[in-house]
Amino acid sequence: MPPLPDPKGVFLNVPYDEEFSSLYVAYIVGLCQLDLVPHLASEISGGGRRLDRIIQLIQSCRYSIHDLSRVETSVAPAAVPRFNMPLELGMTITWANLHPSRHDWFVWESESYRIQRSASDLNGTDAYIHNGTPEGVLRELSNAFWRDPMPSVPQMITVYGLVNSALNSIFVRTGTRNPYDRSVFMELCRLSSSLTTFFFPSTKSAV
Amino acid sequence: MRKPIHITTPRSTLEEIEKRFPVSKASEKAIKALVDEFKAQLSHREEEPVNSIEPEKRRKRASAA
Repeated sequence: MPPLPDPKGVFLNVPYDEEFSSLYVAYIVGLCQLDLVPHLASEISGGGRRLDRIIQLIQSCRYSIHDLSRVETSVAPAAVPRFNMPLELGMTITWANLHPSRHDWFVWESESYRIQRSASDLNGTDAYIHNGTPEGVLRELSNAFWRDPMPSVPQMITVYGLVNSALNSIFVRTGTRNPYDRSVFMELCRLSSSLTTFFFPSTKSAV
Repeated sequence: MRKPIHITTPRSTLEEIEKRFPVSKASEKAIKALVDEFKAQLSHREEEPVNSIEPEKRRKRASAA
């Protein structure tokens, strides 16, 4: 049996594409502001099969967010469906069903009822609808998780705007243009968390 | 709508993030500089209204629709 999960850990199962990057930044900023710790498959280094490392990461997190808004066929040359997100959701559901006290999973979508068309087996699952906007992601994170006190959505949006404006300088420093790279992800987490502490100093003290 | 999950863990995320995601000294310094810059900017103006985020993207979306 794996060790108990990190009670603040949230595994982010999101598409790694350019168009999604603003929502990806919003997830990181929002989770940090809610005193949760985002985790991404790309953060795992070392050998071994990628799938095994993803399973370990899911098991080590108390929560997971599965954004299915970009489960669609890729563009040319050969259009194929994007299966990674549903695959990782399936693994997570199995794990959570086996050990319900260790894991809670959430499905995120851009449009209402789209999930019923793309994965009808998930009928009955309340998806969080972000409307494809960073504001929507932050709003729905507030709906999914809450603590007392917690930042308001407009406050979260302000921090998001600051972190997003710093993305280019992070790219320059890390020598990549890929926001999903391990180094960029780590800097985004650090910056989001530092700004949260500045904006909401009360969140620094232990309850 | 599903009932929201109440987070009851202690509030010490920055320390946890720093521990779990160690970055280089240079990056750490740069992040601190960025935070200081934001602090300086924000100390001279009120909080941005919600609608000020990514106005260009909003306009593009609106025109596409």
